[in-house]
Amino acid sequence: MSLITYREAIAIAMRDALKKNPSSLVYGLCVTDHTGLFGTTLGLEAEFGADRVFETPLSEDAMTGFAVGAALNGLYPIHIHLRNDFLLLSMNQLVNSIAKYKYMYGGCFEIPMLVRGIIGRSWGQGAQHSQSLQALFAHIPGLTVIMPASAKSVLDNYDYVVNKCKSPVISLEHRLLYDYVFESEECVSKTEALTSYIVQNGSDVTIVAASIMVQESQKASRFVKENDGIEVEIIDLNCITNPDIKMILESVSKTGKVIVADTGWSSFGVCAEVARIIATNSPEILKAPIKEISMAKAPCPTAKTLENFFYPDMGDIVDLIYALYYGKSDHGKDLPSREYKMRSFKEFKGPF
Amino acid sequence: MRHYEKMFYEALRIRMVEERIIEIYPSDKIQSPVHLSIGQEHHVVGFCNSLTMDDQLFATYRSHAPYLAKGGDLKLFFAELFGKKDGISKGKAGSMHLCAPDVGFMGSSAIVGAIISHALGAAYSIKIKGQSNIVVAMIGDGATEEGVFHECLNFASLKDLPILIVIENNGLSIHSHIHARQSYDLNDLLGAYKINYLKVDDGFDMDSIYEETKEIRNKMIKEYRPFVIEMKTYRYKSHVGVEDDFDKGYRHKREFKEWYLRDPLVTNKPLIRRFRKEIMDEIDEAVEFAEKSEYPHFEELHKDVY
Repeated sequence: MSLITYREAIAIAMRDALKKNPSSLVYGLCVTDHTGLFGTTLGLEAEFGADRVFETPLSEDAMTGFAVGAALNGLYPIHIHLRNDFLLLSMNQLVNSIAKYKYMYGGCFEIPMLVRGIIGRSWGQGAQHSQSLQALFAHIPGLTVIMPASAKSVLDNYDYVVNKCKSPVISLEHRLLYDYVFESEECVSKTEALTSYIVQNGSDVTIVAASIMVQESQKASRFVKENDGIEVEIIDLNCITNPDIKMILESVSKTGKVIVADTGWSSFGVCAEVARIIATNSPEILKAPIKEISMAKAPCPTAKTLENFFYPDMGDIVDLIYALYYGKSDHGKDLPSREYKMRSFKEFKGPF
Repeated sequence: MRHYEKMFYEALRIRMVEERIIEIYPSDKIQSPVHLSIGQEHHVVGFCNSLTMDDQLFATYRSHAPYLAKGGDLKLFFAELFGKKDGISKGKAGSMHLCAPDVGFMGSSAIVGAIISHALGAAYSIKIKGQSNIVVAMIGDGATEEGVFHECLNFASLKDLPILIVIENNGLSIHSHIHARQSYDLNDLLGAYKINYLKVDDGFDMDSIYEETKEIRNKMIKEYRPFVIEMKTYRYKSHVGVEDDFDKGYRHKREFKEWYLRDPLVTNKPLIRRFRKEIMDEIDEAVEFAEKSEYPHFEELHKDVY
């Protein structure tokens, strides 16, 4: 069995993009330095040349607008941001120009492009290096937002986006996923891009998850299955702006109980959106109120003790599964111990 | 026809189109803001005449002059302003977002600085493909205050890109005077970025503007270097809308008169007489086309979002 990390999948996807699509450009901060943007762009400048792979000045506004003119001229820009927080400096171009260029001109133009933004997390990344801003982008008609949760998602979605998609796509990669190892055999068969996936089937509780929360949900579901035989169904939203609504409603019709697990804040975010989808389509399928996993409603603190309160983990998900399954919050069940969590994920040491 | 006369015809055509819009506007057939180019037609025609069809132009919401000077179709223009389905963008763009991709007019934005970076990306494409073209970003003096202007100057100079930034300096940003907004001297600023700069003190001087931009363009396609031209000009009408606003206290009618009294589109009576009828007929036909066109239907609402 051969293995592939999330990081390796991105590196392959970037190289494939430059190879398969001769119009593609890869640019951003740290793209050509010795770090190769966390190892995802190493060697690309040497292989494909400095015209196609280049560093940028610290000019997110101009370099995002640059993509418009490049795309209008048949190039395929891949603009990478070391931290998705920096995308806020691109917001004007993304929202006012890129999202609207096709619509505003009545279909005269198309802006095919990919923006990669990385969500930092843990080890003191603090308030401006760790935000999950998917909801801000997903709110805007014209922007497609994906959050690949596995190596396969990365490979399938990036291949589709770079070679077939004619519109702007924003991909938010979770930094903590980078060292997750996946079986590479799983990556062989292609799945549909820009939609949601069933990660595992179950009949008791549904979890609709995004990004790293898909992994956390899998860990939580293993725990409750081992201890209580609870069968959890997990849906990986993957494309935040184009969730498979039918898939979500069918799953919740079956289980009647749903947890939405996101890396962002809950209000006006992914949790709110999934709850909206269920409430406006088939509220009667719910046998219990929807539960949410999201960040504490505060900026991310730097101190480790506070950070641990800020981020929910598999233990919080286990707690909610029990609450839904047993129909009460004080279910009295043991949650996974620190040692159990350590075993299921070697705790991140940093720095990064 | 002498080249000057050809340009005069084009500038007069823009002037008369704007005057027709002023006439139509109270009827509420154009249900969107208009930022008229009246007073600012000459230099646009001048520099556009030095461009080829494959030279791309990006502009701001004050887009009627660049749209028409670059060769945009007049019937589609009026249909677009009337919000009709035969408009260039099926009525979704209106006056502020004109485009004419067939003739290299690549869009106009109400976010005035943004288009400089769009032109930057287009210029990068020209450079890496080795094409013999330039890209023009036409902005107002206000847009030079945006951060993106400075970001673009830096990148254009750093990467040797064939981008020509044309600054229409009418001295006003909405109602705010340039001296209340700017601390920098454009010449010094561009010097810091090692970008060549030409200041045109008389925006009415179409002939010189044409000759000079032709020379600049020729140099740019050989050297792949950015260039900035500042055109001193004057806005006759209010920032938005079709009104005079000399009674609002932020500017004096005296300034207007200084420009107006020597405006060739007012003073050159023989040429005006010669061209007026032909242009009027074309405008009549275009307005009639717009009137007769249908309004877009519901199915257009959700089209072209992604």
